[in-house]
Amino acid sequence: MRPRSPRWFLPLLAVWIAAPILMLGLRAVARGWPFPGIVPVGGVDAGAWLGFADVRLLSALVMSMGLALITGAASCGLGFGIAGAMVDTSRRSRTLAMALALFSVVAPPIALAVGLQVAMVALRLNGTVTGVWLAHLVPATGYLTLFAAGVFGAFDFSLHDEARTLGATRWQVFTRVTLPLLGPRLAEGVLLGGLVSWGQVALTALVGGGVVRTLPVELLAFVRAGDDQLGAAAALVLTLPPGLALGLLHAATRRSGAAL
Amino acid sequence: MSGARPGLHVTGARVAFGAKTGLEQIALDVAAGERLALLGPSGGGKTSLLRALAGLGGLLAGTVRVGDTDVTALPPEHRGIVYMHQAPSLFPHLSVLDNVAFPLEVRGIARAAARRRAAALLRHVRLDDVASRAPGSLSGGQRHRAALARALAAEPRVLLLDEPFSSLDPELRADVRTAVVDILAERSGPAVVLVTHDVDEAAAVGDRIAILLDGRLAQAGAPFEVLARPASLAVARFLGVPNLLRGRRHDDGLVVSALGEWRSPGPAGAVHVTIRPGAVRARRDAAGRIPAVVTAVVDRVGATWLRVRIGDEDLTVTSDGAGRASPGDTVSLVVDGDDAHVIEEAHPRSRDVR
Repeated sequence: MRPRSPRWFLPLLAVWIAAPILMLGLRAVARGWPFPGIVPVGGVDAGAWLGFADVRLLSALVMSMGLALITGAASCGLGFGIAGAMVDTSRRSRTLAMALALFSVVAPPIALAVGLQVAMVALRLNGTVTGVWLAHLVPATGYLTLFAAGVFGAFDFSLHDEARTLGATRWQVFTRVTLPLLGPRLAEGVLLGGLVSWGQVALTALVGGGVVRTLPVELLAFVRAGDDQLGAAAALVLTLPPGLALGLLHAATRRSGAAL
Repeated sequence: MSGARPGLHVTGARVAFGAKTGLEQIALDVAAGERLALLGPSGGGKTSLLRALAGLGGLLAGTVRVGDTDVTALPPEHRGIVYMHQAPSLFPHLSVLDNVAFPLEVRGIARAAARRRAAALLRHVRLDDVASRAPGSLSGGQRHRAALARALAAEPRVLLLDEPFSSLDPELRADVRTAVVDILAERSGPAVVLVTHDVDEAAAVGDRIAILLDGRLAQAGAPFEVLARPASLAVARFLGVPNLLRGRRHDDGLVVSALGEWRSPGPAGAVHVTIRPGAVRARRDAAGRIPAVVTAVVDRVGATWLRVRIGDEDLTVTSDGAGRASPGDTVSLVVDGDDAHVIEEAHPRSRDVR
């Protein structure tokens, strides 16, 4: 018999996860919320949302989305490429590659950012979109390598062997067997890599040097300037893609019958 | 190589497997339409040998010919050899019909034509009613037949089956085995090498049996010949020959054992004598010449076997049915001497399978 979660488990989890989002939502539409009040005051004011009509915020949004898209695609290609190459390498090389990928994920973001800033200055890419993109690629590729290693771990490579002896060339095996089977996982990989880029603050701020301005960077600026309402509105917008991604993944896995 | 000889011809093959010593000096000839059951212990390199023959790696030396074509250096897709994995690996993203059409499509046959031929093959293996289904929805037996149909769609000259029935439940195994043998027999064409570690399965499926032991082919021949006359002590032990008695051959060729004496020319020295349980009958009276003590009674379908002891030798014999013996009873044994087979202890380790 499947063990049942205690009755309080789901409500607690819902409150724990939903409370910050709810507070953000309230703050984004409330006219004011003076300390130490526990509820907002002054009724609804949608003025903060008009801020997104501002060119600066819109360009930050476009910059974030563009970076997320190309980082997601590139890190997915790199991660699957590295993990695919690891399948046929020695155990030692595989362990080393996995350790490096894991390090880029678990290393404190600020430490990684400082290191990458130094590297980008040396490459004369500091303060450029290319520099920020390359910096985002580092942790994103780490995540994607780990993700792809898990995908390949569950992949049935005997399909390749049978396809070859059934008359398929290497290219036909790739296009007719590997790609169709990995397709959904590749889409998930692009999404995952994009989300890693979407949330980067330290890397963008340090490597971008204030020139490359993404939505998280602008959000930080609002908070520092004490504009809580605009900050909350920007934060809400930032939470939309992860929520949307989760919804899409859930729908895709329900369609394919696989567990999320 | 002289002339065109349909089938598979392997000479001097050396195959790597794992970190252990590889297979050495493997020589095989399997005629078109013939089924060779390759029998050996688990982990003995049978799968490695099949993969090497299919061009999937591991062949260190030797020559592989399909008919009169040397395919040793050819990639897997150009060998005319289809390798079927242990658990049938149907492509999960394709329907059963598209799985069977796969080998035709990759050869450049138009999709519609490929699907028509695939449908005909599915009718042949009696799977036309599941053609549009996903492989995951098939039963174990259906998956095997679909995989076989797909393999036959490739029109192989050699078909390699790697433990094809091992993933099936015992009750399903015999049915699927019979179906596969029937399908292959109807399409007399490819030379078939089937790997198994199950002696009964090898005897049921193979026109010939080859035994792979300690990295070499130890014996090959018709199933009855191999089972009744193992070429070496190692083969006899691997086959689980129930009666393996110690004996000695004298200079005049007389072999003496606890069960009696036989004429078997050969070098003098220690030998072993094998004899089928059915060739030794235990009687409750003293009509037999050799007294023995019953140590166990083994009831089998259609027969009762007795484990008996003569001196320090244990034997399995048949009961002649005249009253049921019990452990501790003394019986006398009657031996059909023509069925005995003598194994020299210093038998050559390897024989070509031709």
